[in-house]
Amino acid sequence: MTTPTTLPDPGGSESERPAGAADSAPPDLPTSAPPRWRVVTRAAGTVWVNRKARLGLVVLAFFALLALLAPVLAPYSPTAGGFERSAGPSSAHLFGTTAAGEDVLSQVIYGSRISLLVGVVAGVLSTLVAVVVGLSWGYVRGPVAEVVNFVVNLFLVIPGLPLMIVIAAYLQNSGLGMIIFVVVLTGWAWGARVLRSQTQSLRGRDFVTAAQFSGERSWRIVFREILPNMTSIIASSFFGAATAAILAESGLSFLGLGDTTQVSWGTMLFWAQNSNALLTGQWVLLLAPGLCIALLATSLSLVNFGVDGLSNPRLREGSGR
Amino acid sequence: MSPTRTSTRRGRLATATGLGLAATLVVSGCTGAQAPQGAEGAEGGGQGEGTMLFAGDAGSPTFTRNFNPYNSTNRKGAFHIYEPLTVLNTVDGESTPFLASSVEQVDAQTVVFTLREDATWTDGEPFTADDVTFTFDLLREHPALDLDGVWQRLESVEADGTQVTMRFAQPDVPATDIIGGTVIVPEHLWADVEDPVSFANEEPVGTGPFALGDFGPNQYTLVKNQEYWQADAVAADELVIPASNEQLDLVNNGYDWAYAFIEDVEGTWVSANEGNTYWFPPGGTISLLPNLTQAPFDDVDFRRGLSLALDREAVADAAASGYTDAAPQSGLILPGQQELLDEEVPDEGRVAQDADAALEAFAAAGYTQEGGQLVGPDGQQATIAITTANGYTDWLRGVQEVQRQLQALGIAVTIEQPQPAAYQQAVDNGDFQLAMGGFGGTGSFYRDMNQLLNSEFAEPVGTTAASNYQRFSDPEVDELLGRYQAAVDPAEQEELAGELQQVMYDQVPVIAMYYGGLWGLFSDAKFTGWPSEEDPYATPITYDSNVLLIDTNLERAGS
Amino acid sequence: MRYFLSRLGLFALTAWAAITLNFLLPRLMPGSPADAAIARLAQNGPVDPATRAAIEAQLGVPTGGLLAQYWDYLGNVLTLDFGVSYTFFPASVASLVGSALPFTLVLVGLVTVAAFVIGTLIGVLAAWRRGSALDALPTLSGSFLAAFPYFWTALLLLFFLGYTFQLFPTSGAYSPYTTPGLNGPFLADAVAHAVLPAVTILLTSLGGWILGMRNAMIGTLGDDYVTFAEANGLRSRTVALRYAARNAILPNLTGFGLALGGVVGGSLLVERVFAYPGVGYLLFNAVTNQDFPLMQALFLMITLSVLVANFVVDTLYGILDPRTRR
Repeated sequence: MTTPTTLPDPGGSESERPAGAADSAPPDLPTSAPPRWRVVTRAAGTVWVNRKARLGLVVLAFFALLALLAPVLAPYSPTAGGFERSAGPSSAHLFGTTAAGEDVLSQVIYGSRISLLVGVVAGVLSTLVAVVVGLSWGYVRGPVAEVVNFVVNLFLVIPGLPLMIVIAAYLQNSGLGMIIFVVVLTGWAWGARVLRSQTQSLRGRDFVTAAQFSGERSWRIVFREILPNMTSIIASSFFGAATAAILAESGLSFLGLGDTTQVSWGTMLFWAQNSNALLTGQWVLLLAPGLCIALLATSLSLVNFGVDGLSNPRLREGSGR
Repeated sequence: MSPTRTSTRRGRLATATGLGLAATLVVSGCTGAQAPQGAEGAEGGGQGEGTMLFAGDAGSPTFTRNFNPYNSTNRKGAFHIYEPLTVLNTVDGESTPFLASSVEQVDAQTVVFTLREDATWTDGEPFTADDVTFTFDLLREHPALDLDGVWQRLESVEADGTQVTMRFAQPDVPATDIIGGTVIVPEHLWADVEDPVSFANEEPVGTGPFALGDFGPNQYTLVKNQEYWQADAVAADELVIPASNEQLDLVNNGYDWAYAFIEDVEGTWVSANEGNTYWFPPGGTISLLPNLTQAPFDDVDFRRGLSLALDREAVADAAASGYTDAAPQSGLILPGQQELLDEEVPDEGRVAQDADAALEAFAAAGYTQEGGQLVGPDGQQATIAITTANGYTDWLRGVQEVQRQLQALGIAVTIEQPQPAAYQQAVDNGDFQLAMGGFGGTGSFYRDMNQLLNSEFAEPVGTTAASNYQRFSDPEVDELLGRYQAAVDPAEQEELAGELQQVMYDQVPVIAMYYGGLWGLFSDAKFTGWPSEEDPYATPITYDSNVLLIDTNLERAGS
Repeated sequence: MRYFLSRLGLFALTAWAAITLNFLLPRLMPGSPADAAIARLAQNGPVDPATRAAIEAQLGVPTGGLLAQYWDYLGNVLTLDFGVSYTFFPASVASLVGSALPFTLVLVGLVTVAAFVIGTLIGVLAAWRRGSALDALPTLSGSFLAAFPYFWTALLLLFFLGYTFQLFPTSGAYSPYTTPGLNGPFLADAVAHAVLPAVTILLTSLGGWILGMRNAMIGTLGDDYVTFAEANGLRSRTVALRYAARNAILPNLTGFGLALGGVVGGSLLVERVFAYPGVGYLLFNAVTNQDFPLMQALFLMITLSVLVANFVVDTLYGILDPRTRR
């Protein structure tokens, strides 16, 4: 699954080049403060201009629509059984049926809901934790920083997937909430570390020193002065975390640790595997959910290309070197 | 662990090991990719005339070398190497003598096994009564080896020539089969073993039809014991046992004997090779265990209502893809135990779905339908949590069907699926409302009922129970079980079995739903005479002494 | 010096905490090892009530208070004696780990190095030829492949290359007909068996290295010293490799250090799908069977290797970039 050790997350490893590179490529400097909405539209524009990001946004929008309109688009209820078992594609069931006699197409459509939900919620939550911990940690010094360093290191070294399995086993009543919790718990430390490095390098900047002299309180400096300068890195770590969450959900569900009564792409693969879809010729049942997971996760990393351009103008498309 | 599911319920094994991962696809090792298993290695990977490719043991993913027949973690090949005194066929409850040549039930408390004199250990030493007494002493000294609890039933074991006399602690006729089923190990080798509990017995020496051939982490072979006392009855020269037998391999590689649930067996296994057959006999009853210490499950009317509310055929169909049948409420496993059938139990114990009758029973328990909801005496909708084990997909499918059916009557049903160990703990401790569980399949109706209903096992909630998880307790039933245990006369046994069926039917201590299957896949290409519905001389099980019955019953195809 | 001493102190403290957590985690799981064993047996049919007692006696399931167990455990850690596995009773934990570790170290280790080298080179190329097809192709396909769920890639490869076209063995680390050792036939056989899992890991991890290197390199390519070097008329290839790439590789090296630390943990899902007898599969068995002794040993090994890698990377950073020492 997506532990940073085996699969460096694209956003992560990029921003992991902390002090050195950040100095040479200053993020949007806070010298002049344009109105907030203009920042937002300009940022959106920067992302949209990037062709890869545009492609990513389109794919993402497609899945979002699929999830929203699932009841309209799906021909049947995803859990309605009673059709012929393990049937091949036909006009009534474009993707065939499962071994329990459910419509595969409907399941694929409804499955997008869980993946998106897990991606967004787990992404937001783990980014939130990462931001709070990372920023405070980067700003404070002394024993507190050491303690945080200790805790974060601990979370980084404990093997991710086994930890997830253990927690999943512990929180028996495995629903979506459990999966989100597990993903957040095992996923926040990486982002916190990256954000800490950024904060550390920003801490020495003039505008922070100025704020300190003007007597602003620490939390205000951290969250009002430093935070806005890291918007793009935070956004990028959100997309990274969301991708990781989606892949983690599919992996846990595939292992049968999720709620197998729920229809998600991961549980579809679990059931496909369980009923030996390949042996009974149910190609689509195995291919479709996996491909959807891959496409959704790809779309998030593509959007990340555009977001990277926000913090580092050199990564913007079209800007020559 | 094992990709082949050694399970009475489908999908189970996957769990144990593996949560079903790759249960299907992951494949067997052992072969080069190019060639199906057999074709490799000199027609000798295993397809000589008398070589049987056998998916009867599974590595996780490789084999550890352990042929200690008393370890639950051993190589199942040990059961082709060691023999017990008698082997029980759990389909019909009949025993076949192996190391014993005859068995005499002297009285309800005494049995005499007369030992075979022509058996030898594969190292050439003769088999004697000393080996038998040594084995039973070994089990007494090391309770950790006594998996079947023979010393909870025995009082003494004495040998005189070729006769071994066993005295039971109390009148206990069913104990004969359990004690007879103990595999015997050689005294001259085991006497020197320092710690038999953690003894891996890497070089097994037995009396059985096969001896260990080559052993590797990916595969081992068993070769025919030419000196076997009934060598003529053994058709196979060699068993080739790969560590990994995924379903794709089973279908592609031409196995002769496998134990696995396989979806769409006709379209996959049967159509893969000419001569492929299968037999999925019932191996136990999958049921809902109501926690009898809790309201409303302590009310027999409520339990009867649940029982009447279920369409068992639909549950069986959902759970096992239609490969096993709905089970009768009597607790019998049919057709194997047909002759025990009690005439007074209506319709062979089958309970048909009957919504009106169910509502009537619920009403008697104080639950009435209001606005589509079944509302209890407290004015609240009846809500039930059903506990099943995560990864037991067949159970889950069944429970989901139950959920649909009960919801149709207005009962709110939630499904809890802890991991298997946590599920087991919840069930042991009585920490559940309704739990999925299996019972029966021991081959003895007495044992089936004793484990299920004897109040001796009904520990208080919060304490670990080893059986009778629903905590059923009825002095009359205990008394019935006691008489059954002591009954030597078959007619008396039959009558008591009938009374227990009525208890099951009337008191609904558990809600029997469908039979868990035993998944035997066979090929007639090289060997014939597999157990089948027409000739159920054994079950298809590959992980206990049952295999001896099959080893000695097969014939070469075309002979 | 003080900096490194404090690092070392922190390292020791983290190690202790990780060791303690490794002790607690398995015990947090509901259900005892005996429950797991009974559940496993119950799959084979009825379990006699007597069996439970025998199983508990057989496994020597931990007795005594948690604290007593903890002391024993600390002793075990110091002597590296983890006792006997429950799942594979009576095999010792040491022998199980010993037989699994080489396969994982070689397979996952080599592939991690290969993925890093190949990915970084492609990343350099992509950044250097930015905007061309040489950039677009690897970045797009890299991010697409990295988005594949591991197990799914593995399943597809397994089915197509293993079964349909029968190009490679489908499971295990070697076939039953070769004897493990330093002999030709075995090595050839082992390599053939490693191909599919190796390709799976390579495909899914390559993207991260490509993107990381590409982005870092694009950053450095615009730096003043690079512009300066170019203005001085140095050939662009020299500039790219000598100056830009050398500076850009630092962050990727961090990731590489951590990835190397992670090798010991194996690749659980991939090993599982290919039934590869490595540490990942062993860990999976341990976790699903409540095998405390095995789980403890494996968790310890994995956390310590990540911890050491982390420590080394941290220390290197302290040397290479003094600013982080503040």
